[in-house]
Amino acid sequence: MSAILLAADSLLRSGAVAAGGAARLGSLARMDFRTLIGLIAAFGFSYGALMGTFGGVRGDHGIQILYSAIKVPLLLLVTFGLSLPSFYVFNTLLGVRGDLGNALKALLAAQAGMTIILLSFAPFTLLWYVSCSNYNAAILFNSAVFGLATLTSQRLLRRHYGPLLARDRRHRFLLRVWLVTYAFVGIQMGWLLRPFVGSPWMATYFLRRDAWGNAYEVMFRMLMR
Amino acid sequence: MISWMKEIDRILRGEATRLSNLRLGRIEYGLPQVTLGTILLAMVSGLCMACFALFKRGGPNVMQSVATVVKVPLLFFLTLLVTFPSLYVFNALIGSRLTAASVLRLLIAAFAVMMPVLAALGAIVAFFSVSTTSYPFMLLLNVVVFSIAGVLGLNFLMGTLHRLTIAQTEPLDTFILDEGPEPAPGETTEIPPVLQSAGPLDRVPGYLPTQNVKIVFRIWVVVFGLVGAQMAWVLRPFLGNPNLPFHWFRLRESNFFEAVTVAARHLFGG
Repeated sequence: MSAILLAADSLLRSGAVAAGGAARLGSLARMDFRTLIGLIAAFGFSYGALMGTFGGVRGDHGIQILYSAIKVPLLLLVTFGLSLPSFYVFNTLLGVRGDLGNALKALLAAQAGMTIILLSFAPFTLLWYVSCSNYNAAILFNSAVFGLATLTSQRLLRRHYGPLLARDRRHRFLLRVWLVTYAFVGIQMGWLLRPFVGSPWMATYFLRRDAWGNAYEVMFRMLMR
Repeated sequence: MISWMKEIDRILRGEATRLSNLRLGRIEYGLPQVTLGTILLAMVSGLCMACFALFKRGGPNVMQSVATVVKVPLLFFLTLLVTFPSLYVFNALIGSRLTAASVLRLLIAAFAVMMPVLAALGAIVAFFSVSTTSYPFMLLLNVVVFSIAGVLGLNFLMGTLHRLTIAQTEPLDTFILDEGPEPAPGETTEIPPVLQSAGPLDRVPGYLPTQNVKIVFRIWVVVFGLVGAQMAWVLRPFLGNPNLPFHWFRLRESNFFEAVTVAARHLFGG
């Protein structure tokens, strides 16, 4: 347990410039892929569990907590995995495959940082759940929390991807391609895996009965209406 | 099994198209292995597209998925077969020194860039195929994916055509440096350092494509694009409209360009 917390702590500090000094505190060099993925799984699982408590913990709704807990790391890691093959080929084609390991580590570090930040926001979410019973408001609040955590984690991304960007302008293009691909897949993945919060008035399923569909099609139809 | 991966990887990393490796006027790689590899990768991407037919509502359409897996490699190689004679003739007419064999090698190498891109994006295509029921969405997604692969492949073609001309017209010993040892600090070389880590899509700095290269390339793009689009039309359906029964081929109606015009007229209220 404390090993996980220590790893999370050193990830948050990694690459930061120490106050008043030019020395950089720690780096990602000592952190391997397994630690980073472990952090995403552990912190994503924890936030997911807390997120799933909206419908209550008794009876049928208790299982929603487990479902939500599994879904958050699943969303992040499967989206990452699906975007990976094309990123590999694009890096190779642009002639910067030698940097791929560092690039992936920076991306995973940003993801892991996002889940850590997310869990640190969990008390706000719980306070919101306690004070307001509106299901739609709970979904909106969680979207805001996810958005804020993603924005904050950009700091880690910039810190670790920065050296690559400074070395070669091709990395800037590749990072943009990655973000577009990841968002494109992630939005559909999020749509597929709903419900994350779990309506207290609906029966609990792992996936919605009518889940199969397309997020972009639904969005387009909403806009046309 | 592994050797075709290695050969395709050499092309993807740009090793096969370094100036010093083009001195004989052709791209050196194992043609049989790369051809086999491109066919296999095309089948992988076909399989990813076929997920739409396999996971459709109301049971899988197995025949359609088999057809898709076969049709994707067929699309590329039939296009090559139809266009190769004219591509070669244009190339010779313009005064290029490429032989027929090296034109063939160049085109297959471009396939070896397109197919890995298609197969890698296949992961995303497969995911959307499984989770989506919308036929128009999948159609558009696949058009986008094929366009990305096509643009990258044509970029490679243009760059390599350019390099081939440079490698044949410049004195040979100019390019031996990019394989040589690192220069000592303070020492400058003629070859910019960018060449050492350049990918296959990078242009050679300091050389602008000649008029001839540009003309050959434009003709190739037009011929290859038109024939490829029409070939895709002949071989359709690739995805299989879930509301229609399975056929190996649709009826011989209309053509790609007419269909586009009709759709455009429809869309803009004709």
